[in-house]
Amino acid sequence: MKLFVLILNRFFWFFPTVLGLMIITFGISHVIPADPVAFLAGDNATNEQIEALRHQLGLDQPLHTQLTNYIFRLFQGDFGVSLYTLRPISDDLSSRLPATLELTLVSVLVSAMIGIPLGVFSAVHRNSALDHFLRIFTVSGLAMASFWFAILLQLLFAMEWNLTPLQGRVESWGPDVVTGFFLIDSIIAWDAEMLWDTVSHMFLPVATLAYPAMATIVRFTRAGVLNAMNSNYVLYEQSMGFPRSVIIWKYVLRNALIGTITQIGLIFGVLIANAVVVEAVFDWPGLGYYAVQSILQSDYNAIMGFTFVVGVIFIIVNLLVDISHGFIDPRESR
Amino acid sequence: MTQRLLRTLMRPSLKDLAKTALLSGLALGLAFTAAPTHEAEAKDKFIFANSSAYNTMDPQALFDVGRVAYRLNLYDGLMRWLDNPPKLNLWLAESHKISSDGKKYTFKLKDAKFHDGSPVEAKDVVYSTERILALKKGAASLFVKVLKPGTTKAVDPKTVEFNLVKPSAIFLATIPEIHIMNSDLMKKHEKGGDWSSAWVSKNDAGSGSFKLKRYDPAKGFLAERFTDHFYGWGDKYLDEIEFRTVVEINSRVLGMMKGDFHGADGYMPQDQIKRLRTSKNVNVMEQESMRIFYFIIHNARAPMNDIHFRKALSYAFDYDGFIKNILSNSVARNPVPLPNNIWGAPSGVKGYTFDLKKAAEHLAKVKKPIREITIGALAGYGQTEQAAVLLQNALAKLGVKSKIVAETWPVASGKMRNEQQMYDLLPLWKSTYYADPNNWVGEMYYSPNVGSRNNSWYKDAQVDKWIAEAIETTDRKVREANYAKAATKVMDDAAGIFVYNTKWFGPYSKKVDGVRFSPIGNAQEMRWVYFK
Amino acid sequence: MELTRFLIKKLVEDRVALLGVMLIFALFLAAFFAPVIATFPADVAEFHPKNRLLPPDDTFWFGTDRMGSDIYSRVLFGARITITIAIIAIGVSVLVGVPVGLIAGYYHGWFSEMLMRVSDIFLAVPQIVLAIAIAQTLGPSIENIILALSATYWPFWARLVYAETRSIQNETFVEACIALGASPWRIMVLHILPNISSSIIVRTTIGMGGTILTAATLGFLGLGAPAPSPEWGRMISESREFLPMAWWYATVPGIAIFLVVMGFNLLGDGLRDILDPRIRRSVSHDD
Repeated sequence: MKLFVLILNRFFWFFPTVLGLMIITFGISHVIPADPVAFLAGDNATNEQIEALRHQLGLDQPLHTQLTNYIFRLFQGDFGVSLYTLRPISDDLSSRLPATLELTLVSVLVSAMIGIPLGVFSAVHRNSALDHFLRIFTVSGLAMASFWFAILLQLLFAMEWNLTPLQGRVESWGPDVVTGFFLIDSIIAWDAEMLWDTVSHMFLPVATLAYPAMATIVRFTRAGVLNAMNSNYVLYEQSMGFPRSVIIWKYVLRNALIGTITQIGLIFGVLIANAVVVEAVFDWPGLGYYAVQSILQSDYNAIMGFTFVVGVIFIIVNLLVDISHGFIDPRESR
Repeated sequence: MTQRLLRTLMRPSLKDLAKTALLSGLALGLAFTAAPTHEAEAKDKFIFANSSAYNTMDPQALFDVGRVAYRLNLYDGLMRWLDNPPKLNLWLAESHKISSDGKKYTFKLKDAKFHDGSPVEAKDVVYSTERILALKKGAASLFVKVLKPGTTKAVDPKTVEFNLVKPSAIFLATIPEIHIMNSDLMKKHEKGGDWSSAWVSKNDAGSGSFKLKRYDPAKGFLAERFTDHFYGWGDKYLDEIEFRTVVEINSRVLGMMKGDFHGADGYMPQDQIKRLRTSKNVNVMEQESMRIFYFIIHNARAPMNDIHFRKALSYAFDYDGFIKNILSNSVARNPVPLPNNIWGAPSGVKGYTFDLKKAAEHLAKVKKPIREITIGALAGYGQTEQAAVLLQNALAKLGVKSKIVAETWPVASGKMRNEQQMYDLLPLWKSTYYADPNNWVGEMYYSPNVGSRNNSWYKDAQVDKWIAEAIETTDRKVREANYAKAATKVMDDAAGIFVYNTKWFGPYSKKVDGVRFSPIGNAQEMRWVYFK
Repeated sequence: MELTRFLIKKLVEDRVALLGVMLIFALFLAAFFAPVIATFPADVAEFHPKNRLLPPDDTFWFGTDRMGSDIYSRVLFGARITITIAIIAIGVSVLVGVPVGLIAGYYHGWFSEMLMRVSDIFLAVPQIVLAIAIAQTLGPSIENIILALSATYWPFWARLVYAETRSIQNETFVEACIALGASPWRIMVLHILPNISSSIIVRTTIGMGGTILTAATLGFLGLGAPAPSPEWGRMISESREFLPMAWWYATVPGIAIFLVVMGFNLLGDGLRDILDPRIRRSVSHDD
């Protein structure tokens, strides 16, 4: 019942939160001291031309009118047009969002698939050489600046040793878009070369994103496993003569994973944040770098557009994490 | 009991997990080995790595050097600038006539076709002209003062007539910037009075040497050879051209060295050019371009409105240190607001040198106290930051405090138009939009242009007279003399700090030949290029 | 005090945390003594283009940058910037976030909801994106970075303190205080706050590391102090067009960031082990 109230409460607050986000973003983006119209009109434009263009784009109306117009159109699914490129924002968002999501999800998967087993081993063989190495490895992972790590990886693997592509998402034009996730789309298109193209371009960016994520997962899994291993019921099973591997893989792991899974929600947030610089360094055509560019260029509609999308995603993810938290651990009241 | 059940339920799943892992690992391995090695070089496809993104395919929406490739290759103009020193050639026009009062320009068109097969006619020229005047974007600023809507006439299907408001010596030089668009095709996609902007931003309505095949603003564009192009083709040509957006310099350099790219932009830092020269795949072509680097000085604001302060600034910049050390002598010292290599540039002018003593002498004559000076810089353009830092350094030695404000180009270009917001100083390049001295000193220091192309707020009656005269008369000798005089006076007034003229270092694959460089177009016109 | 002595003793025993303390100490030393231990202290503002991009050697221990300045000296001065930004940003965000969280957590009702929703709005976007927007609005400078970081970080504290306050509220001793007639302020400050302080301290230490990384990222994107400031993130950004030839230009500031953040993380871990028995990273005391 408490859970139901929680969910209801969150849904109730969903719209005002998003609205508040939009208002703040609108305010900030219009205070930014760049004039996209002057830029759009070109180097040689006269001031009359600029004002004419401003009127044409509706940017000479009072701010609150602009805001209400924008929100009104948003409800109709119209994200407006980029002031920088004059292309519909929805086009940009729909092509860039899958790029970032694909990168993020693959990174989470990789970091979980490697991190969880490593965390378990680390806990089970506590104080072994592997354990010590892993602890250094994970602490490093959380101390490295992602953009620096990305540059280092580029320097070594792409520039010096020529093992991976330097940048970009694909060399070619990419597979025909079905889902927007190139990995899936190349499989649908049954194109091995395209698949390899996609995968090879993911090595460095995924490595950069997965490293800190993996570090967190290893640490939490290790802590969770150790905790579980010293708990009463495990002692009970040990005294009952259950084989050690059974204890670990069936019971300990499951309980340890609870903490890890809740962490994944947080990790997702960190990944999106790191994705911004990783996309910048690797020229990945995703939402993160698009966000930075729009801000630097004062592209109002683009800023509002991606803020809305990212904000909604974040709110949903937080909501899911809170809900799953409530499900998994009924002791936790909000 | 439940535990045994769980055990039986869990055990197979664990084995299955191991099995799936093994199998997927094998499958992945097979996929990798079976996938063919990636050949980025097609024999007939030329891949160019560009530093900016192609936001639109509309030739009348943009007018900048960084994104010129699609305009050059997909569209034609009545005339075209080619080679270095740049020469104006007839292109879609087979002849032109100017009336004696200099206000009527009549062009006769060649037999040419658009990409969809329909013929290029005078009505298309009229449409394109009206469109650029109506949209007021891109190169429109070059025409709005001389052409009024509705005055351009299609005399017959092959003859078009421009009726200027007043005579203009630069009209012919700017004519290549009206890209001729397929009016019938455009009108089919017109929506709500937008002059088909939405459609043509992603599509092709041109007649140029190449036809648009694929376009993705995040990626670039791909075009294939237009076999029916009016200019005709020899036996050596490219079948496809691809212009890709590669934002990072290192990625462009590495791609060139690996052979993934066949061409890249020619204004990279000298350190990278040195690196490119070591590659056996790359041929670095060197040409003197027409692109000056200078500091805009805000002439209307104290203390820059005092000529002594401006002279002090001019003596305070370490020209040699900058050109020799930071730029490794890859550029030529250019002391006036005109590139040395254009006609009309004054010859034998020495210009200012780095002399802190002289600077101090001039500074002594300036009213004290001198406030903190704001030096702008373009974020992401390391050279502008380094120049700003050098100047700041010298000013500090002279006892003048300054701070550097680095902002992106959209922000800076907006501030440049506003007298209050413009920085005290801003280092910048001025490229060639049309190859005429007016493009520099005429635009930059002419007082009617204040706030738009004159971002220095420099107003001098004598200079205005020379430039006004030079814009109207077509007498080359008069124009040459006037621009030289104007440029010399601007330099004497220290209205800006004029540093260098760029050299273009174009990296191209050793496998290609036929690259033709012009300061307008920067060797991105692909119809001359072929694989050896 | 007994507690501090106990704390220090425990820290010294945990060698890994001790390493963290030493790294942080080194950072403060470097920043404080920069003018003395730098080989070219003037290179923060003086430039010699003739010496640009020289590899590390006897004169320039870590090589020179694009303007010919000694990177070793500049990195040392950069430490001052790093410390300033981190301490002030965290300080401000804690001073704002903790009271907000306390109040929102202690009271129930629409005001608390309101405060938490406001912090949710800030948390809805990745911190870095919001910080970029704020920094861009205000203009690139160290003060504005601090402002941007504080403005985007306080919601974390608010949320943390809120959750902790709510969970402590139901404890008996709090009920006892209320029964005795203590005022809400008294309860919040004198009773609840001390009990959650260990959590705050641990998170603060680890938060320093994160803040330093975010500040470096902002510097990398060009939103930090303008040229020619020796800010570490900015140095890495400047280095990019000279790679891979001038590898030292990118590597050295990066290592500096790495060591400093590592120091704070190790210390934070150690403090967490000692102060917060609920969340131990390892259970036994002998490793």
